[in-house]
Amino acid sequence: MIEAYLIHLAILICIYIILSISLQLSMGFTGLFNFGHIAFYCTGAYVSALLALNGFPFWVCLIAAGIISAVFGIVLAFPTNKLKGDYLALATLGFSFVIYAIALNWVELTRGPLGLPGIPKPELLGFVFSDNLAFLGLAAILALISYLVIKRVVVSPFGRVLESIRDDELASKTLAKKTFRVKCYSLALSAFFAGIAGSLYASYITFIDPSSFTLLQLIPILAIVIIGGLASLEGTIIAAIIIVLLPEPLRFIGFPSSVVGPARQIIYALLLLIILLFRPKGIDGKIELE
Amino acid sequence: MSLVLQLLMNGLIAGAIYALVASGFSLIYSTNKFVHFAHGSAVAVSAYFLYLLFSMFNFEFFLSVFLVILFAGAFGLLMDKAVYSQLRKRKASGLILLIASIALLILFESLILLFFGADVKTINLIKVEKGLEFFGAIITPLQIVIIVTSIVLLALLFVFMKRTKLGKAMRAVSDNKDVAEIMGISSTKIFAWSFVIGSAVAGVAGILIGLEQNLEPTMGTNLMIKGFTGAIIGGVGSVPGAILGSFLLGLAENFGIWFLPSGYKDAIAFVILFIFLIFRPQGILGIKKQGDKQAGA
Repeated sequence: MIEAYLIHLAILICIYIILSISLQLSMGFTGLFNFGHIAFYCTGAYVSALLALNGFPFWVCLIAAGIISAVFGIVLAFPTNKLKGDYLALATLGFSFVIYAIALNWVELTRGPLGLPGIPKPELLGFVFSDNLAFLGLAAILALISYLVIKRVVVSPFGRVLESIRDDELASKTLAKKTFRVKCYSLALSAFFAGIAGSLYASYITFIDPSSFTLLQLIPILAIVIIGGLASLEGTIIAAIIIVLLPEPLRFIGFPSSVVGPARQIIYALLLLIILLFRPKGIDGKIELE
Repeated sequence: MSLVLQLLMNGLIAGAIYALVASGFSLIYSTNKFVHFAHGSAVAVSAYFLYLLFSMFNFEFFLSVFLVILFAGAFGLLMDKAVYSQLRKRKASGLILLIASIALLILFESLILLFFGADVKTINLIKVEKGLEFFGAIITPLQIVIIVTSIVLLALLFVFMKRTKLGKAMRAVSDNKDVAEIMGISSTKIFAWSFVIGSAVAGVAGILIGLEQNLEPTMGTNLMIKGFTGAIIGGVGSVPGAILGSFLLGLAENFGIWFLPSGYKDAIAFVILFIFLIFRPQGILGIKKQGDKQAGA
């Protein structure tokens, strides 16, 4: 019993790791304060769920979720190219509201507030990941791949261009870097992995509805990125583990679930405030949160 | 014809409600220069406080209203002193303050959920009455009160900003903080005052909305998105702009459902918000300032 519970937590941690290190790529490394990350996650979850419900194999769903989300990332990059700082944050937040409203209202496709039930568990090469332990293996491998790819990107020369855009976009333009194109790639790659996380989430929970993709869900992800420290992938992974595990003791104290839900949000919000107030660099931040 | 009038009326009511939220928000933005999303929680907390005093403890209505407005002002001051001014001391950018305000918004939404539960609450001051008819459009007496109160309140706010010493000092800080400080205006005090006044206006908004609609924990977030959109359309940091933008938004939403299913009402607001942020971030009445877009960079 306790084992199943721990496996469940470990799967959640893997999903949050993918989601937050991909946000770290655009936010920490490229300096794009993208509050619309939830929108990519939502897109990935819906694309994957809809394809899976129509009988497509899991790997198609997974890759399609990533690619469609990446396309959305590029679509978002065009209008927001010139925006910076809080304007960018707000425009991307607006984008996530639009995606949420579409998920809620395009009833013919998404069944609106009723959500999509019965999403099949992933199946690869004839092996069905119906067992949670097997699913954890899959989630861990995907989290590891995401980490390795993003790590590879940020230490590459391309990664240094990303960081130069974060630190001084004008200066990197002067060095003939095509900053818009680079920002596009960064946002697309970030959205790609958010889509992968969404696909994993949909096939793990086997049910999605728009309420899983609201402003409330942005708080833990933002908290992970800021607690982990901007531009630190390792810090982000530690923070993801902390954020998933921290509210769990509430369950054991025996609070009813109507208390645990809000209490969890209160913990996240307080933690975010405390970090902003007392340790804006997070666990392992490479740059000052200014 | 009566349909057009009804939509116009609904648009005006929605606009009046958004304007109440947006004007306080815009006032705070104009001096503080950051997006105070937790303004929505000031509205929600006020509405619930009214519910607590009036419906649970059976206070007299006007006493409750007075206490709620007082409470809202104190609530705003508390947020400023406990969080924002601490962050400002560290010279945190507007972006950090924005993240902090989103955290505050979620914090209070969850606290309301924890104490009052997820079910909707109603404040039964006025029995459901048959609406009055104006040229075929139906409007309830309460809705007339809402529109009139908001217009009176917004006019008072306008006079306050233009005529009183404090209002002038606020505009001075909003125009140029450093020069205002040279002239002996304490910007810290002005920041605090704008939180008090802006949040008190949010308190009035909370009362009126609490009477007109049901209370639910997420109301703060929903209203904030609308109020914020109204403020952006009109020109963020300009109180008259915020009011204009809010009425335009209310009308756009209500006329929009002529063409789209009514579920898309919210989506209309977000799309307008998105378009304005991208193409005209300074809004209709706002003046484009060099460096505004660079804020936080």
